[in-house]
Amino acid sequence: MTAIISRVLTSAALLLWGTVLTWFYFSGKVQSYLHPTFQIYTAISGILLVLMASIVLIFGFPECCNEENCVHTHGKLTAGRIFALFILVVPLFVAATVSPDQFGGTTVTNRGVIDNIAQLPGAKKTQLAQMAYTEPPLPGEDTTSKQAQTPPEAGDAYLQKNGKGQIVLQTIDLLYAADEPSMRKDFGGKEIEIIGQYMPAKVKNPTGKNFNLIRLYVMCCAADARPVAVTIEAPKAEKLTEMSWVKVTGKVTFQHQGDRFTPIVVANSVTPCDAPEDKFLY
Amino acid sequence: MIAAAWFNFNFNDFCYAFMSILLEGIPFMLLGTILSGLIDQFLPARFMAKILPKNPVAAIFLSGALGMIFPMCECGIVPVIRRLISKGLPVSCAMAYMLAVPIVNPIVAVSTYMAFRGQGAMEMMTLRLIVGYIVAVLAAFVINRIPIRHVLRPELLAQIQKKPTNNSEIAVDALGMPKSPTLGKGSMITRLGGALGVAVNDFLDVCFYFVIGASVAAVFNTGVNQDFLAPLANNPPLATVSLMGLAAILSLCSTSDAFIAATLINFPAVAKLAFLTFGPMMDLKLIFIYSAAFKKRFVLGLAIGLFVVIAIICMRLSFLQL
Repeated sequence: MTAIISRVLTSAALLLWGTVLTWFYFSGKVQSYLHPTFQIYTAISGILLVLMASIVLIFGFPECCNEENCVHTHGKLTAGRIFALFILVVPLFVAATVSPDQFGGTTVTNRGVIDNIAQLPGAKKTQLAQMAYTEPPLPGEDTTSKQAQTPPEAGDAYLQKNGKGQIVLQTIDLLYAADEPSMRKDFGGKEIEIIGQYMPAKVKNPTGKNFNLIRLYVMCCAADARPVAVTIEAPKAEKLTEMSWVKVTGKVTFQHQGDRFTPIVVANSVTPCDAPEDKFLY
Repeated sequence: MIAAAWFNFNFNDFCYAFMSILLEGIPFMLLGTILSGLIDQFLPARFMAKILPKNPVAAIFLSGALGMIFPMCECGIVPVIRRLISKGLPVSCAMAYMLAVPIVNPIVAVSTYMAFRGQGAMEMMTLRLIVGYIVAVLAAFVINRIPIRHVLRPELLAQIQKKPTNNSEIAVDALGMPKSPTLGKGSMITRLGGALGVAVNDFLDVCFYFVIGASVAAVFNTGVNQDFLAPLANNPPLATVSLMGLAAILSLCSTSDAFIAATLINFPAVAKLAFLTFGPMMDLKLIFIYSAAFKKRFVLGLAIGLFVVIAIICMRLSFLQL
């Protein structure tokens, strides 16, 4: 009887793990946790664990390690086994249920914000990288329509713009721009639209209207996320929830602070918005 | 200046970090346990002993470099190591492979190089591989002189010391090398079933420690205010020791830790090297995972030993002025 109970409990533990992994993948939740490279492994592991759970439930514990040398507990329902199953099941269940799929302000404050691109080696330029390299047209390619849309500035051809003609940027783009004289010239005074997460500015905020616009930069998973921030000078003091998503439109300025330039967006509007499909920067 | 507490805990953030560590690590752990099952059923006993040089010194040196051919991450290596030990790999060689493989492998070499572009990438990558290899091999030589009863968990020790029933040799030789064949018998289906049995049981065994390790890592990963480490950056010995502590707390994957280390621009390069060498060999998560195969006292001793040796080596390297 205990062997059957143990078999069912073990199978249930494997099934829970498999279900959580497959659920996170197929519901898209995994995008809030892992770099795209690692996401598919979650689905594969989840499916394998569900298969393993089914086999154990239907056929019992297969013989392993050769009987004489085996150290596994198999069907024995010991106190240690029950405790192990508890540890395997309860924390996973609680965390999967409670996890808000994003960090709150506490962790971002603990990690400290990055407002200087030199603190973020390995970061890839997003749109600015495309600006820096102009793809030559393919032989025979019709460039007429492209030219018709191209504003006078060469770089603008590769910048995404919203319906109002404002350049759509990421926080990391502005950090790169601050470090490059030619990009500072290109962006300085331009109208932009930028989306990120709201965090109150606890320093360099004499008027009380400034806040940090955060995006998390991720290498592998959320546990290694680094908050990349741009200072926003809002028209009025905002009372928003920490790490809530906001869309900011305004003008880019670069202020000389110490031995470097810092990007500051003088905002025209700050409006709450939905989280983008991809919450992280990679 | 706002004075912040060194520790601020938020349960939701903890759950989020805990889940992300699990989601990233479990696939690799599952891969390790499946490999463990296949090794158990399909790798002939003493196969590893046969392919390694007979000379124990040469065997340890070679084991430390096996990661360049058989790369594994630190999360998945323990079930594989446990199985290889039971299949005849000497404990010292297993230790050299286990400690070196998260660092001495091509994936980590490339990620380190990419992360440190513009900051002496080639030097950092080369030093990381060399120091990682040297430390792993040194640890293996020390472990080679320790009786394996002080190293392995009793059940694993019993498994490799069990007297064989089929007229083979005495169970363990001077290197802790078992001589009992444990190869699976029967049809392919039976052996695949056996491999599955091993994989399921190994997964549950190691996952138990991984869950505990991931929760401890998530508490520190989200709760510790990292600004408190910054003032240590100007003192090389303190910087080295504090970054090693940070590596243990953050419990990062060795394929990504270089990208974090590269952002610590205020810290000297030797401190980053210590971070990159110590973290993949020993962190909060690994302390628990190692306990699936090794005695707790041994794991604690190993942690202290690695900490001291890596700190000394990295501090001695400060003359390189990287």
